[in-house]
Amino acid sequence: MSGSLIEARGLTKHYDAFSLEGVDLTVNEGEVVGFIGQNGAGKSTTIKALLGLFPTDGGASSVLGVPSDELSRASGATTKEQVGVVFDAISLPEHLKVADVGRIYERAYATWDAHRFERLTAEFGLDAMKTVKSLSRGMGMKLSLACALAHDARLLVLDEATAGLDPMARDEVLDLLRDFVAEPGRAILMSSHITSDLERIADRIVCIDAGRIIFDLPKDVITDETGVARCRVADLEKIADSGVVPDAELRYLRHDYGIDVLVPDRFAFAESFPEIPVDRMTIDDYMTLTLKGGVR
Amino acid sequence: MKRAFLLEMTIFRDYARQLVGLGLLVSLCIGLGIQTPIAMPATLTCMFFMMSAMGLAAYDQLNHWELFRLTLPLSRRDVVLGRYAAIVTFGLLGMVVGIVAAVAATAVVSAVGLPGEVGEAFAFDPDMLSVMAVVTCLTLLIGAVVASIVTPLYFRLGQTRATQILPTVIVLLLVVPVAVLGNSGMLDGGIPGMELVSAALEALDTPAGMAVGCVVLVALSAVALAISAAVSLKLYEQREL
Repeated sequence: MSGSLIEARGLTKHYDAFSLEGVDLTVNEGEVVGFIGQNGAGKSTTIKALLGLFPTDGGASSVLGVPSDELSRASGATTKEQVGVVFDAISLPEHLKVADVGRIYERAYATWDAHRFERLTAEFGLDAMKTVKSLSRGMGMKLSLACALAHDARLLVLDEATAGLDPMARDEVLDLLRDFVAEPGRAILMSSHITSDLERIADRIVCIDAGRIIFDLPKDVITDETGVARCRVADLEKIADSGVVPDAELRYLRHDYGIDVLVPDRFAFAESFPEIPVDRMTIDDYMTLTLKGGVR
Repeated sequence: MKRAFLLEMTIFRDYARQLVGLGLLVSLCIGLGIQTPIAMPATLTCMFFMMSAMGLAAYDQLNHWELFRLTLPLSRRDVVLGRYAAIVTFGLLGMVVGIVAAVAATAVVSAVGLPGEVGEAFAFDPDMLSVMAVVTCLTLLIGAVVASIVTPLYFRLGQTRATQILPTVIVLLLVVPVAVLGNSGMLDGGIPGMELVSAALEALDTPAGMAVGCVVLVALSAVALAISAAVSLKLYEQREL
């Protein structure tokens, strides 16, 4: 547990139409962990379970060393002083003004830094007198991020926090998150469908599908080592027979003009098959090939 | 609990201001309609208890605030106790505003010297204060009981679902027992304990009786709210948000 700000082992939760099935997830100090998956895969449910927002049916999880089920009890509530949370939409009553939101947080957090909040809202162009209702989705997310960053948290849990932000605002936010995690003892768990953001900031990528963790890999392994071989259909058998890609790892996706093959080591592959072009892997491609790709 | 209470107060502040204005108007109309200022604090006390219980629950459901609130450094216990503290605070605020409004209306009518029945009804009478206190405490009990019934339902089901089943709950709690008992013949010999109620009402005619009456009504309100809070704590502890 040492060095882990979030630790989940075998987290299980059953609903009528969906289950989390033995989710393992760790977020260590200094890490930005990108949490990806399709809609309804279980990202938000996992995050809510980690935050102790509902009881789970099995497994165990902890945040900053405190069991998740203690976080909503008197014994664990103060731990949340050190956790900044942003959901995928602004989660505050809509009649509140931006200045009221600051007051709410000031009353909730002993460590609230009103000056930092004012500075961040000014940087984000948020008018203190505007109501939550009048904010666009992007401005609402900026307000939520300003709140999460203004109480000296050690851990940020961001559920689609950059959704709705324009590219420039996303750059600005990613810079803030980089600065945040550069301080010792801090970490970020960040679920996102905008995988280009994760390519820029994440250290590790965890993918969930149908309530199960599908892969948990350092981002650099995905983007620097693996690749996508753009083959003709006939090449697939050749690749499979060569053993360059172990059978168990050979995943492919057919499309109109050929076939994409997931290559665990794109440099080794390029040496073995110089005639087959191999592109750098993106997180999107890796997820698509892993989740939807065929297996021989 | 203090943090949760302060959050509730901040969230409800604007609505409470509107309620004060609306409540003053409503209570003044009722006071003029039934030609007595006694109804003014009574109306506001009852109204504030009920409206704060319902209004605060309504805010819970806006933008998933209820869920997000538990990511703040609050426990579920804090949330429940903070809610009850806010309901009591707003209820008592209504009472204070109502008393001030009634006294102000009486003072204005006396100063202006309005003729006719309204002038007479609103003329200052020291005896009126004790009656006002008893009536206000009675509506305090009514408001507290309503808040005590609806708040656990809101905590268990959320405001939307609770509002759907509230009419059924009220019928079950208030109408069905009366109908069943009335048709069963059990009340043919009179309602048990009516003598006690009659004696209590007679006792309210004396100053000492009124004072005791007020204390009993306030105590009953506190008991209703305390029981309700205990039920809410239990229900909210297990609620899946």
